Amino acid sequence: MPEMSEGAEIWELSVEEIAAKVRSREISASEILEACLARTARVEPLISAYLEIFEVEARERAAALDRRIAAGEDPGPLAGVPVALKDNLSLDGHALTCGSRILAGYVAPFTATAVERLLAAGAVPLGRNNMDEFAMGSSCENSAYQLTRNPWDLGAVPGGSSGGPAAAVAAGSVPLSFGSDTGGSIRQPAALCGVVGVKPTYGRVSRYGLVAFASSTDQIGPIARTVRDSALALEVIAGADPRDATCATEPVGSYLAGIEQDISGLKVGVIREIDPKALSAAAARNWQQSLDRLTGAGAELVEVSLPSLDAAIAVYYVVATSEASANLARFDGVRYGHRSAKADNLTDLYFDSRSEGFGPEVKRRIMLGTFALSSGYYDAYYGRARGVLEHMRAELATAFETAGVVVTPTTPTAAFRLGEKVDDPLAMYLSDIFTTPASLVGLPTIAVPSGSDNAGDTGLPLSLQIMGRPFAEATVFRVARAFEREVGWSVAPTFREARVAGDH
Amino acid sequence: MALTHEDVKKIAALARLRFTPEEELRLTGQLAKIVDYIDQLQAFETAEPDLGSRGVEEAADQTAPCLPREKFLANAPASLDGFLLVPEVKGGGDA
Repeated sequence: MPEMSEGAEIWELSVEEIAAKVRSREISASEILEACLARTARVEPLISAYLEIFEVEARERAAALDRRIAAGEDPGPLAGVPVALKDNLSLDGHALTCGSRILAGYVAPFTATAVERLLAAGAVPLGRNNMDEFAMGSSCENSAYQLTRNPWDLGAVPGGSSGGPAAAVAAGSVPLSFGSDTGGSIRQPAALCGVVGVKPTYGRVSRYGLVAFASSTDQIGPIARTVRDSALALEVIAGADPRDATCATEPVGSYLAGIEQDISGLKVGVIREIDPKALSAAAARNWQQSLDRLTGAGAELVEVSLPSLDAAIAVYYVVATSEASANLARFDGVRYGHRSAKADNLTDLYFDSRSEGFGPEVKRRIMLGTFALSSGYYDAYYGRARGVLEHMRAELATAFETAGVVVTPTTPTAAFRLGEKVDDPLAMYLSDIFTTPASLVGLPTIAVPSGSDNAGDTGLPLSLQIMGRPFAEATVFRVARAFEREVGWSVAPTFREARVAGDH
Repeated sequence: MALTHEDVKKIAALARLRFTPEEELRLTGQLAKIVDYIDQLQAFETAEPDLGSRGVEEAADQTAPCLPREKFLANAPASLDGFLLVPEVKGGGDA
């Protein structure tokens, strides 16, 4: 067990510490929850990470856990741990909007498998988090409901699309949250908020109850303050599920068991094609420092090649939008969601309900995907993108013949300003350059804080991304933990309000 | 390729989306820029998928109870006697 710092506030406890103390009756689930609710009441007016807080229900659930513990039961490895859920994860009887007007009023009629497993492990859902509409965005600014702010700098974006879950954990509202990652939507906001984010191997976690965006890459994963907590959380939600035919039957194993082992001699692949000039000055300095830290931890750096890195964004925005255009066809005003009041025939009902319900970025992506799949353009766009993707898969497979893991910066810059990229969709897309390859190829990947932009004077967090072979989550966690020890990061956001000019 | 205003109108009809003329123009500019960027894919090497490799093994189909009708219909914008209610099927569709 990690040591607990003297005088730590209850809301600062790690997931592991909370579960251990609740299980041993040192502290009750209700006391933990009250501490997190009080912390949330303090920070939420600053960051707006939640669309809804389940205060009454969470109190009932915590009290029920305490009764079970008093009766001698063990609620499980997440006993009494308050968790927040991105608003695209279904929890029976609760509103679910995906950050979209088109789902205003929708109530989830069942619970996602991942969420069911959290409940079965003793977790206490505290609320649902803001997100970019249908998980489309890198700043959380595409939510139809509210802007979420970065806890380190209230004038900066929290990243996206899981901006709410990342901001909630960074601000100390909850020690653990869950998001979805289609092209970087867990890792990028985790990086920008200075916390740990995990995108598991494609198929590792059931997507039953997750609203679909791009089905060939969507994965659910945890966001936490430490690598150990994220490993524990993934252990709970991972594993086969008959309700998701694409969910892998590969055994899960224990991610915590070997996590403290050192990484001496482990070969860490460094992608030759990463151009430090494409990073901000601070990110470039930090990237070099991260490589030095990996060496300091005993790893051996080896050069690997990913010539298609520069094609990743283009491939991603063809493949993901094509799939989105098909997945989002279900929002037609007939079965659920917004129905236009003005249509008097079925065809107009489709056009009007969709046009009124979807926001600009979702429409833009549906349009792009429809174009890429349309007659006459399919081969040149969708077909071409799939071909380049397969080449990328082969390149990464070759890299993993020599390297145990492959690292990149998670993002090319620290958090950018609110409003900075909203009018330039392509500039927004380019912030996903390093996260999209692992999504396209389906690799397990973690974003770990790698220090802050102190030299650039903004103090904003930066992050290292570690990718592994399919289903090699345990290795990825072990490298991440070794790196985390070297960095000595503490999640202590400053909630700074003044704008600080500097390197982005 | 240079994406045109006419292309955008045609795609919008396929996607069952309606835009105002101003929105169409703005979208044409934005999509044209994105499609230009995507055109760089022509310069990258491609490969065929390795169909022999083991992907995620799909589970066998099994019958199981589905969502109860009343729970499903609770989210429907309009229903009648246990069925979804929609307006007249004929007509419409003019952008």
